[in-house]
Amino acid sequence: MKINPNVPLEYGTEENSNRIFGFWIFLGAEIALFSTLFAVYFTLWNRSGSGPTASEIFELKGVLVETFLLLTSSFTCGLAIHAMRHGFKKATLVFFAITLLMGLGFLGVEITEFVTYVHDGATLSTSAFLSSLFVLLGTHGLHVTMGFLWGAAIMIQIKREGFTPDTTNKSFIFSLYWHFLDVVWIFIFSFVYLKGMM
Amino acid sequence: MMKQLFPIKHVMGYIFSLVLSVVALAVLMDGITYTVGLAILLICAILQAGTQLFLFMHINESKDTKTSLYLNIAYALFVGLVTIFGTLFTMIWGY
Amino acid sequence: MKLDEFFVTGEPMIYAAMVSIVVASLAILIGLTYFKKWGYLWREWLTTVDHKRIGVMYIIAALLMLFRGGVDALLMRAQLAVPENGLLDAQHYNEIFTTHGVVMILFMAMPFIIGLMNVVVPLQIGARDVAFPRLNAVSFWLFFAGAMLFNISFVIGGSPDAGWTAYFPLASLEFSPTVGNNFYSISLQIAGIGTLLTGVNFIVTILKMRAPGMKLMQMPMFTWSILITSVIIVFAFPVLTVALALMMFDRMFGGQFFTMANGGMDMLWANLFWVWGHPEVYIVILPAFGIYSEIIATFSKKNLYGYKSMVASMVVISLLSFVVWAHHFYTMGHGSMVNSVFSITTMAIAVPTGVKIFNWLFTLQKGRISFTTPMLYTLAFIPIFTIGGVTGVMLAMASADYQYHNTMFLVAHFHYVLIPGTVFAVIAGFHYWFPKVFGFRLNERLGKLAFWLITIFFNVTFLPLFFLGLNGMSRRMYTYSEGSGFGPLNMVASIGAVGLALGFVVLCYNIYWSFRYAPRENVNDPWGGGRTLEWATHSPVPEYNFARTPNVKGMDAYWHSKKENQPLFEGKIEPIHMPNNSGQPFILGVIFFFLGFFLVFSWWIPSIIAGIAVIIMLAARTFERDHGRHIPVKEIMEIEEKHGGELV
Repeated sequence: MKINPNVPLEYGTEENSNRIFGFWIFLGAEIALFSTLFAVYFTLWNRSGSGPTASEIFELKGVLVETFLLLTSSFTCGLAIHAMRHGFKKATLVFFAITLLMGLGFLGVEITEFVTYVHDGATLSTSAFLSSLFVLLGTHGLHVTMGFLWGAAIMIQIKREGFTPDTTNKSFIFSLYWHFLDVVWIFIFSFVYLKGMM
Repeated sequence: MMKQLFPIKHVMGYIFSLVLSVVALAVLMDGITYTVGLAILLICAILQAGTQLFLFMHINESKDTKTSLYLNIAYALFVGLVTIFGTLFTMIWGY
Repeated sequence: MKLDEFFVTGEPMIYAAMVSIVVASLAILIGLTYFKKWGYLWREWLTTVDHKRIGVMYIIAALLMLFRGGVDALLMRAQLAVPENGLLDAQHYNEIFTTHGVVMILFMAMPFIIGLMNVVVPLQIGARDVAFPRLNAVSFWLFFAGAMLFNISFVIGGSPDAGWTAYFPLASLEFSPTVGNNFYSISLQIAGIGTLLTGVNFIVTILKMRAPGMKLMQMPMFTWSILITSVIIVFAFPVLTVALALMMFDRMFGGQFFTMANGGMDMLWANLFWVWGHPEVYIVILPAFGIYSEIIATFSKKNLYGYKSMVASMVVISLLSFVVWAHHFYTMGHGSMVNSVFSITTMAIAVPTGVKIFNWLFTLQKGRISFTTPMLYTLAFIPIFTIGGVTGVMLAMASADYQYHNTMFLVAHFHYVLIPGTVFAVIAGFHYWFPKVFGFRLNERLGKLAFWLITIFFNVTFLPLFFLGLNGMSRRMYTYSEGSGFGPLNMVASIGAVGLALGFVVLCYNIYWSFRYAPRENVNDPWGGGRTLEWATHSPVPEYNFARTPNVKGMDAYWHSKKENQPLFEGKIEPIHMPNNSGQPFILGVIFFFLGFFLVFSWWIPSIIAGIAVIIMLAARTFERDHGRHIPVKEIMEIEEKHGGELV
């Protein structure tokens, strides 16, 4: 395996640098995916039928907590990669652990929110608005869940193997994914919640 | 040690994104019109996305793929915006 | 669920199909056991990550699906041959035109193209494999799982019956209560994920794995077309993913996206479907343009005219393909502004397409043309496709479209685009690159016979449909009255369909005949006019493609190295790094098949178990450490010697 010493370790082999590039392309596809979900949501968001409207069910407090958690987790995820590039194994693991815990916290708040909605009689089958809301938020939440599992698997690998071309490459790609989820959340925060409460 | 673990660029980026989130909350105040509100949301969201892309995701760090990655994001945005606004145009505005 | 609801009952044709499926499966199982081929099948094919073998598997699957879709087509033509025919009832006819459309577009045309690109693209750019060989195998097995899941609906549960576009509200649970459309949404979802991954894989392969010296603007035109196609795949397929997921939510979880109460919007499905669906049309046509470009240049012994404008027109098409979708539902009733905008964008696409047609004609001009089978298909394509294109411009005019919409005119139009466009192209490409994979060419006489049968009877089949459409015969009608006067032309079309089928039989016979009797040439460049790198290596291609990486100095590198006597391969042979085979992609495909099957019938506990199995497979992959293997120099030399000829 030829390793290029002039670039960060995660880019070192040709294969690994291709993986990073390929993942960026995949994120392009993810942009198209979430854009479609947004298109559906924007088309249906005021078609609430006999069910509640956006401004009736949205609550600012939970959303702010979610936003804070995800923004901070994105920050610590960036710090983890920074520490990784300096070879600080322990710091990397701690930052990743904080990142994943924040992600878990985000999921907790989101699930609570969903439970409240359903409790108040706002379910997937109540109206087109709620269907599109649940599927948009749910898809993002599913991504966070997958990210949590993925990140945990990578942490185990770093702990076992230290920083190798494999583990650093996986960590970096994971970080791209996690930051991307934060970007998507910003758009949900702005154009679903804030716009809905305006 | 602290300086190495918490690089100033990351910290600034984090603070910047928190500030942008707070600024976006302004749209909930009374007296802000719908159009102005949307504009604020749009600008804040774009700046936030840019912060993530450049500061945290290092989109511009690899010389040989930089152009391809920009093109990739540009194409994705083109398709995304066409899907969103095209759908609204066909299904609502122009119906 | 009762057993007689689970299996489709009451139709003699379906009973016959069940019997033949069981018999054929048993024959395959017994044959594999008797000839002790299980190990061979597993080692050489099911676990392979070699792009050439994956390509071959794609093409075999596509040919099987061509048979399936072709039988559907023949049944439809048989039903429509005479007025008030009772061969099929309305329900059965609905199912058949639905599966014909889905199978032909998604499980025949696309995999055939993906198969060809798998075989050819890495060779054309001088690479040893695609960027992510393992992912490539995953793509194939996901596609195959989706295709099998879709086809099994024929005997278990019932086929989808709402058309290949599955418009709501017809496709909703209310109006299509059987599991048929669940099969539609879930099998397309699984196959679609595979296709998306293929797109990512080939973008990276083409952008990052080219042989040293090959600049972007020196790539062979087929590779260019695949790059653009992959870009369209990556950005269009997520839309299908979402649309199908929403369909699943509506049908299985009480979603209200496309319902007619509670704020749902039925036409939103049509909108989303075509946001993907129109780019999809270009996904199957751009590679065809690439194939024709290669064939025309090779058999005219000239370089391609207007290389840059060819590339530019494909880039423009890729962008325009995303802004024309609403022309599929002009008659939905939206405002004239919407129709005007989409009318203009649609007509604009004719411009870059026209540029390509002229470029091909100019390439032919003053060329020394050899009329081989692939070249014949290419030459026939130009005029026939132009008919399809021009009728497309007619359909693009929104106000006139009110007259053509959903008539046989439309059916004739898209068959005139897709058959000479995509089907002729994949057949031509199949003949053209066949010797690269197998070391011998298909028989030219049989090939030409098949060509003439297919071309003539294609026109006999579909030309009458233009006139039937203009006379007011609408599509998807399972029968018509004698008084309508549609009888004679329909009879002509049905006779044509039989001839077309005969052409495909000759084509298949040719494959069989050539495998048995065709002379084994084993030369690098059997056509004698090869221009691009794939002709520089041995036929059949060794596993590592090129013993030494080619050194590219310009366009049509192989042609120029021949003409100017410059070596393409220099330096000494080094150990070659190759990926290892893996059973994981196949197993993942099997799991996805069962996951899809359980979801179709809403069997939640088995679905959850299969879902967990998918996550376990993903975890197994991330913890795996497989850095491939190196083929030692000694082994390379042995392989090279076995292939004879000069070292490449």
